[in-house]
Amino acid sequence: MSKPKLLWLQSISCNGNTHSFLNHPELFSILAHFELIHHPLLESDYSLQDVINGGLPCDILILEGSFIEEGFLKAGVEVSATIERYAKKATHIITAGTCATFGGIFKQKEPDKISGFAFDIEEKTVRYEAYASKLISLSGCPIHPRWLSFVLLMIANGKKVEIDRLHRPVELYGYTTHMGCTRNEYFEWKIDAKNFGLKEGCLFYEQGCQAPYTRGSCNKILWNDTSSKTRVGTPCFGCTESTFPQTSLFTTKTNMGIPAKMPLGVPRRAYLTLTGVTKSFKIKRFSERLLEYDK
Amino acid sequence: MKKIAIKQLIEKIEGEAELDFTFNDGEIEDVKINFGFYRGIEEILRGKDARDALVITPRVCGICNHAHLIASVRAIEDGYRQAGIKVELSNKAKDIREFTLACELIQNHIKWLYMTILPQLESHIGQRSEENYAIKASYLSATITKSLAIFAGQWPHSSYAVVGGVSCDPTHLDVIQAQSLVEESIRFFEQVVIGMSLEEYLAIKSITQLSEIRGDFGKLLYLLGSNDMATIGKSHDRFIVFGDSPISASAKSIGTQLSKVDVRYVKESMQENTIAKAVEYKKRLYEVGSLSRGMVAKRPIVKSLHKRYKDSLMTRIFARVDEVGVLLNICKNLLKNLNLNEPSCTLPLNKMALHFEGVGIVEASRGSLIHKTKVEEGKIVNYEIITPTQWNLSHGTKEEQGVAIKAMVGSKSVEEATFVFRTFDVCSVCTTQ
Repeated sequence: MSKPKLLWLQSISCNGNTHSFLNHPELFSILAHFELIHHPLLESDYSLQDVINGGLPCDILILEGSFIEEGFLKAGVEVSATIERYAKKATHIITAGTCATFGGIFKQKEPDKISGFAFDIEEKTVRYEAYASKLISLSGCPIHPRWLSFVLLMIANGKKVEIDRLHRPVELYGYTTHMGCTRNEYFEWKIDAKNFGLKEGCLFYEQGCQAPYTRGSCNKILWNDTSSKTRVGTPCFGCTESTFPQTSLFTTKTNMGIPAKMPLGVPRRAYLTLTGVTKSFKIKRFSERLLEYDK
Repeated sequence: MKKIAIKQLIEKIEGEAELDFTFNDGEIEDVKINFGFYRGIEEILRGKDARDALVITPRVCGICNHAHLIASVRAIEDGYRQAGIKVELSNKAKDIREFTLACELIQNHIKWLYMTILPQLESHIGQRSEENYAIKASYLSATITKSLAIFAGQWPHSSYAVVGGVSCDPTHLDVIQAQSLVEESIRFFEQVVIGMSLEEYLAIKSITQLSEIRGDFGKLLYLLGSNDMATIGKSHDRFIVFGDSPISASAKSIGTQLSKVDVRYVKESMQENTIAKAVEYKKRLYEVGSLSRGMVAKRPIVKSLHKRYKDSLMTRIFARVDEVGVLLNICKNLLKNLNLNEPSCTLPLNKMALHFEGVGIVEASRGSLIHKTKVEEGKIVNYEIITPTQWNLSHGTKEEQGVAIKAMVGSKSVEEATFVFRTFDVCSVCTTQ
């Protein structure tokens, strides 16, 4: 049986998704399931000029970068035209990263013209209907290498990837990035981090952490197989979300001292009730340095 | 006299570039370099909170994102100091930043060696081996960026450097794991890249000892030497380093003459027919990158190569691979001496300046990277990024040709010139930020 033919195309991009995937420890075992038609950095069967000239086979199309209909040419040809040409052929389209999925950071340069391939933030683009049946969204700035390999290998194994309304695989985006964070106990007991650079305290209350309402499995499938933003004391900036990047990323927006945005699916009343209870206790273990307790 | 123009799409260089070569009597006389799409990061930053730059600017570049982070945090810290706020980093925070930055440089250099230089050279000289070089690049870059991620959370696109320090609070558990990954990287470098111990390698001082280098680097040096690559690719023989780093202090070197630099004399200007801005220092063009750092640091083996081959392709390629060894040694020492008892971040959480201007400089893998931020009422009103590729790849001035262009001029084929072009490790995305 011939291997599925894989084509990786870039539009308005920083190459971050490409480099993130190159970090995958089993990169070449994963790629062995496919015939690599073209890739932005890895050696592949065809050059970019060949791709632009057209007529190459393509089963799985990976798109990286924000989409613009007109004004971005490679070798004299609109990138959008090259993308659509192969999108028609492909049996699967994976939008790799937040730019290709929702528009991402580069959308902010020209919000009216730049978008994701099938979504403009969360609104469906004119291309959506034509490609919806084969579309998988893998948002994240950048994409997590193991999220991409999961989807690629599911396709290679002939399995169906279950997706949500924005075409994100539920097995990856059914979690919040908060789940698995090493600071979870501090969140439960509403203990804020007193500064940056401390392993103690939750970053949701002061430092702008968006993890409780950001979808993704960053703290389940760790970054570089070792860590995550929140584990090293950096707030989650919601980079998998359609609205990334928002503003004032290191500050929690609050209403009357309460975080303005609630954890995913949690009613404000429930949150306030729980906060009232937890705040009425002073727990010794959470008020001192973690490694000093019980010493 | 016969003039011919040839257009060539260059790919697999962090985006693409188009080169327009003009041949005169069979030799390249001029080259125009055109980059892709202007993404407007500097414009995107305007109106945002000063600290948002720590999240936005890494997204300039997928391969040197960490350098952008460090440049942007230094720009803010410089601005705070100018505004009268005391920002004094602990040695721990400084060392962790230098460590993660060094890891990123190693990742970048090794990808360039294995995914650009070796395969392109083999193709160019018609001796393509069947070897999967990319798997070596991927192994070492995944290992060293894992070590980086222990402190920075992730690579690419970490924002762990915060104003006043770093956001992580590492324990010995972290440091031991990071050390182990550095040791693994050193082992790979010794066994696969140089075929000797790192200690022996770093002691090499003269080109008479180059034949001792084995491994893939030894093979590369042999291929360069036996294919007349030691004399081509020469440019202005002027080098500049703006950032102080464990590799070298800041200075410029005209030939081998060292002198001080001041970033205030850097001038950026628009160029015709391209979105990439040119940059010069006191009206002269300088090369940036590993070769410049090696020259400024007076690294003996780099000086020895330069004495024989000047700023040729051979010297330039050597200096970059050589720097991997230098950096691995720096990584090892930084971790060994890390004092975990110091604070990670010394600036209190809500202490900030609202009106300031600051400059942040960092040595990225391709050379000096400069960020300038201007903030009013806490919001960015102007942000400027000057990237290493702007130095090396500018079209030049009326008086002199750009650094890479001069290195290509005189070449007899598009293939050779393209290879010379790639030795500067072009980063299209950085140039079109």
